[in-house]
Amino acid sequence: MGSAVHKANKRKLFIMLLLVAAAAAAYLTVDVSFSNERLFRYAMKIRIPKLIVMLITAFAIGGASIVFQSIINNTIVTPCLLGMNSLYTLIHTAVVFVAGSGSFLVVNANVSFAVDLTLMGIAAMVIYSYLFKKTKNNILYVLLIGTVLTSFFGSIQSTLIRVMDPNEYDSLLATLVASFSNVNSEIILFSLVLLGIIIFWLRRELALLDVLTLGRDQAINLGVDYDRAIRKLLLGVALCIAVATAMVGPISFLGLIIANLSRQLMRTYRHSQLILGSALFGMIVLVGGQMIVEQVFVYAVPVSVFITVGGGIYFLYLLLRRGGVRQ
Amino acid sequence: MKIQELKKEYDGKTVVDSVSFEIHKGKVTALIGPNGAGKSTVMSMISRLIAKDEGLIELEEKSLENWKSRELSKHLAILTQSNHIQMKLTVKELVAFGRFPHTGGRLTPKDREIIDQAIDYMELKEFEDRFLDELSGGQRQRAYIAMVIAQDTQYVLLDEPTNNLDIYHATNMMKMVRKLSDELGKTVILVLHEINYASFYSDYICAFKNGKIAKYGTVKDVIQKEVLSEIYQVDFEIMEIEGKPLCIYY
Repeated sequence: MGSAVHKANKRKLFIMLLLVAAAAAAYLTVDVSFSNERLFRYAMKIRIPKLIVMLITAFAIGGASIVFQSIINNTIVTPCLLGMNSLYTLIHTAVVFVAGSGSFLVVNANVSFAVDLTLMGIAAMVIYSYLFKKTKNNILYVLLIGTVLTSFFGSIQSTLIRVMDPNEYDSLLATLVASFSNVNSEIILFSLVLLGIIIFWLRRELALLDVLTLGRDQAINLGVDYDRAIRKLLLGVALCIAVATAMVGPISFLGLIIANLSRQLMRTYRHSQLILGSALFGMIVLVGGQMIVEQVFVYAVPVSVFITVGGGIYFLYLLLRRGGVRQ
Repeated sequence: MKIQELKKEYDGKTVVDSVSFEIHKGKVTALIGPNGAGKSTVMSMISRLIAKDEGLIELEEKSLENWKSRELSKHLAILTQSNHIQMKLTVKELVAFGRFPHTGGRLTPKDREIIDQAIDYMELKEFEDRFLDELSGGQRQRAYIAMVIAQDTQYVLLDEPTNNLDIYHATNMMKMVRKLSDELGKTVILVLHEINYASFYSDYICAFKNGKIAKYGTVKDVIQKEVLSEIYQVDFEIMEIEGKPLCIYY
């Protein structure tokens, strides 16, 4: 019965937590010389921020993907598939384009991030609320329009880059192509605080997620202020995606993989467990993957390539297994 | 429950126009009418699922807007037709959601009792740990009704509850509706397509046509040859079986 599943899931989550801890410890210590203190410190100085960034990213993407899927009541879409990270990249480029790379809005990483976040929040709310309302959550339309939006945002962004002053572009590139090998660690503290605020601000809505999953009519029937809850959650999702994209750049399929793995493993509707599971999966995939990339492939192939290839195949599998997209 | 001068427009087209009627407490009221007559829209407005343009809806002498949504959900429950959930949810878990308005996420022993009763009432005991997506349409429908029963509201609104059900399950559904009113004293309002179900299992019938009320009254008042022919634009014959009017249309 439900409580048995509940208990089994707690055990699964605990095992995953241990795996994350093991992966993190391994990532920090593999191939590090303990005898030479200076070398050891140097390695830690590089690896610790990277590890923190990966953990934050996994949490942001994992949580945001589950929440987003529940809002739209479909498990094969994620915010990234609908172009949220392209939107963030576009906004960041546009700010540099308009303000100039010397502007105080851009020079300080944290100020720049705050500006991006504000714009992202507004743009995402307008675009995605409108998208959901117009398509009435019909998943085929949402997916189609999302795909179009992704390339639309991408095209505008590349147009801006092309007409940009080459020097500006050069400095933009440094902040734009964040990746797991080149993480943006300046904004760690800001991101942590922001995620904390988002969770606190959404604490009531997160508790309502289980009910929201029943769909609009049922949620209203059970006395939930549905539209308001959805708006707030959507804003939270957009900001989480912004955090992840700003730190490590766009990784489209990660959310899809970890959210669905979490759902498959837990087989529950409880969002507290689903979100935690998704975040922990993310941490295992990212930290483990990055370790393999660094130690086995010696940085030849970035981890995002593996995630995209694996995620793409997994996405197709999900689509085919269900016998098409139903709604 | 009182409804006065209710009005709703979509893109300049009036779909519900000056609808006024009063629901009798503790009785079963069926809303009937041809497609697009506005009965489902009226139902959605009564249950605050969609906003009304004009008019007044009063529940227990208090206008619907003045109810807190959470408070209202302890008095009025609605079951619509569109219920597809992608999440892994068992029957028991779904029924437990019916207690949400009363106790939030945390279930008390009394809640559990009510949930078990609702499951027994809908004869779902053997399915209670099954996932919803593993059930047949009729079983799933019953699970949703059980949830509404667990919600334990005075007013129960059902939008085409017999839709997608075969004769056996549809008839059982209607008997259940009758029991809700006779045994539990609930006020049931339901939209029905099948006129004979309305005739056999309800106390009052409200017939809609073109967004207006064509006729409202007891079953005997509404199930009349002339009234129905006028509303549906087909010929009707009325027979009587077990003291209740039976319609034949052709």
